[in-house]
Amino acid sequence: MFLRQILLGAAWAAPLAALSAGASLAAPLAKHCGPKDKYVIGFSQANYAEPYRQHVNNDLIELAKAIPQFELQIADGAGNDNTQTSQVDNFVTQGVDLLMISPFEAAPLTPAVARAMKAGIPVIELDRQTNGAPGKDYTAFVGGDNYKIAFEAGTYTAKTLLPDGGEVAVLEGLPSSTPAVQRLNGFKDGVKQNPKIKVVAEQAADWVPDKAQTAFSAMLQANPDIKVVYASNDMMAAGSYLAAKGAGKEGNIGIIGTDGLPGPAGGVRAVASGQWAATFTYPTGAAESLDLAKKILLDCAESVPDTVTVPTLAITKDNAADLDKKLKF
Amino acid sequence: MTDAQNIDARDTATPAPAAARRDPLALIVRFQSVIGLVLVLIGGVAFSPSRHGQIIFLSPDNIANIIRAISETGIIALGMTFVIITAGIDLSVGAMLGLNSVLTAMLMTTTNLGLVPTLLVVLAAGTTFGALQGLISIRFRLEPFIVTLAGLQMARGLALILSGNVYINISYGDGPGLAPPVFALLGERLFHNVVPVATLVFVALAVVATVVLNTTRFGRYVYAVGGNERAARLSGIPVAAVKVAVFAITGFASAAAGIVHAGQFNFGSANDGAGYELTAIAAVVIGGTSLFGGSGSMIGTIAGSVMLGALANILQLNNVNASLQLLATGAIIVLAAALQTMVGRREGSMR
Repeated sequence: MFLRQILLGAAWAAPLAALSAGASLAAPLAKHCGPKDKYVIGFSQANYAEPYRQHVNNDLIELAKAIPQFELQIADGAGNDNTQTSQVDNFVTQGVDLLMISPFEAAPLTPAVARAMKAGIPVIELDRQTNGAPGKDYTAFVGGDNYKIAFEAGTYTAKTLLPDGGEVAVLEGLPSSTPAVQRLNGFKDGVKQNPKIKVVAEQAADWVPDKAQTAFSAMLQANPDIKVVYASNDMMAAGSYLAAKGAGKEGNIGIIGTDGLPGPAGGVRAVASGQWAATFTYPTGAAESLDLAKKILLDCAESVPDTVTVPTLAITKDNAADLDKKLKF
Repeated sequence: MTDAQNIDARDTATPAPAAARRDPLALIVRFQSVIGLVLVLIGGVAFSPSRHGQIIFLSPDNIANIIRAISETGIIALGMTFVIITAGIDLSVGAMLGLNSVLTAMLMTTTNLGLVPTLLVVLAAGTTFGALQGLISIRFRLEPFIVTLAGLQMARGLALILSGNVYINISYGDGPGLAPPVFALLGERLFHNVVPVATLVFVALAVVATVVLNTTRFGRYVYAVGGNERAARLSGIPVAAVKVAVFAITGFASAAAGIVHAGQFNFGSANDGAGYELTAIAAVVIGGTSLFGGSGSMIGTIAGSVMLGALANILQLNNVNASLQLLATGAIIVLAAALQTMVGRREGSMR
């Protein structure tokens, strides 16, 4: 009897929620909610085979364990829009209570997210967004701000590493990808705060260490006075270190990474061991998105903040060793 | 194998060089990659930034950087040359590099095999994978293109399964879960910190490949099978065995490149090496080896690889956008292929 009421309730709440998501109509965002039930959360991850995304998965799994009502299912989009679309559709068919997604690409995954919303499933987008507006086309977005993170790295370079100025190089990610452009611009705008800093070289290394090593080797040949290199992710920073070592300049060049990954090959350990000057975390947003999920599913929230920007953490020699001990991987 | 069969094999291999002596254009094609390399080097010197009167492009450090950058694709291109001379192709090499880097990292960190047995197991695995592709291609009369396309998918799939979709980091030291520190040598440089070890591996393999292709009976068989398979079979050359062998060679080369990759970057990743097959094929084609088989040279492939590396380097030294690099590579491939076709037509009209 009780179950039937819930089901009936869901039947009329769903279209209303879809119509009025975010508006002040007194309807919970989820079809059924409350602190006592069990809930399935489907997470469609863009691609497992990237250290950062593995880190996100681990974080989510670890934190979800602490919430007994939640069962987390993660699917690997394998870096393929088509695969990821069918996984989202499967989650919808399966009737998950909440969908989390890091879309591989924005436009191709937009229709799949729309189908989930239409089916009355709240959608939290993690790290990457589909097209449309949060709060309307999907429930909420949780993520870091690539531009701001790189801007912080630029500020750190301008004020702490090179207060007296000097030559700086930049390694960009895959050209034309949004985070690559945002991180490039963020860093360049950040170092502008110190007019004595000159960006003498910038090359794309497509996020991978081998290309970064090749590119930074050439940069060091052409500009032997480079004092700091900003790598748009940790993998490229690792490649830069190999290049600096090859040129016999390890220790003389401040290497800055981005992402702040844990583990033996991650940025945190590289900073702790003194190989790099710093790395700036790209937050996983796992805790923040699970908080939203709790509000939506357990507290029957009628509205949640539609955008949650997770701040970056600067990992430098001051905090790296402590963090390295704390972080699990 | 009798001497008479040997002579036959040599005869089927000789037409191309004979024509080369007659036709100046053919001579250019024969040495096109060397000529191209010289042109790129001249361009490199002309456009190189210089410091204290020294031309950076020619500095020993920079030359070492160029060869290090091409060591992995270069090693693959050496193997690819054998396959392409037999009129085959191997698309699985990039995925094989990923698979073998994962295998290397796993064996290093989860077993106590020791360095040499680990490397031998990886090389044997790569060689077996390659040979299997050759066998399947012959047994079921499938185009190598199709078989190795399937091989590419399978190698990636295997690598993803083995690695559990994560990067496998190699940490060095003594004890369980740690790799023998001597393996880290692959990421080091020798001779006053100038010559990368990865470069030395490439150079050593290049010498072996050149000797095998140019001076051994097997090398002549490879040309014969690619030049005219029927004639080769009729003259008693074990065509099937030669074909299986060339795929085993690309498998071996991909495994070697995978080991170098794992050693240089201290990890194995299932996704690495994507697109390397195309870079290797580009180097081979620029090197003057015909995709239709029967002609080509190892020196050409080596020069082609170095040329691509030098071109990328000079553009990077001048901080030129990477997109221009792609345009330049594309133009050079078309030029190399067009030259070959022109020579092919001339030879045809002369006969």
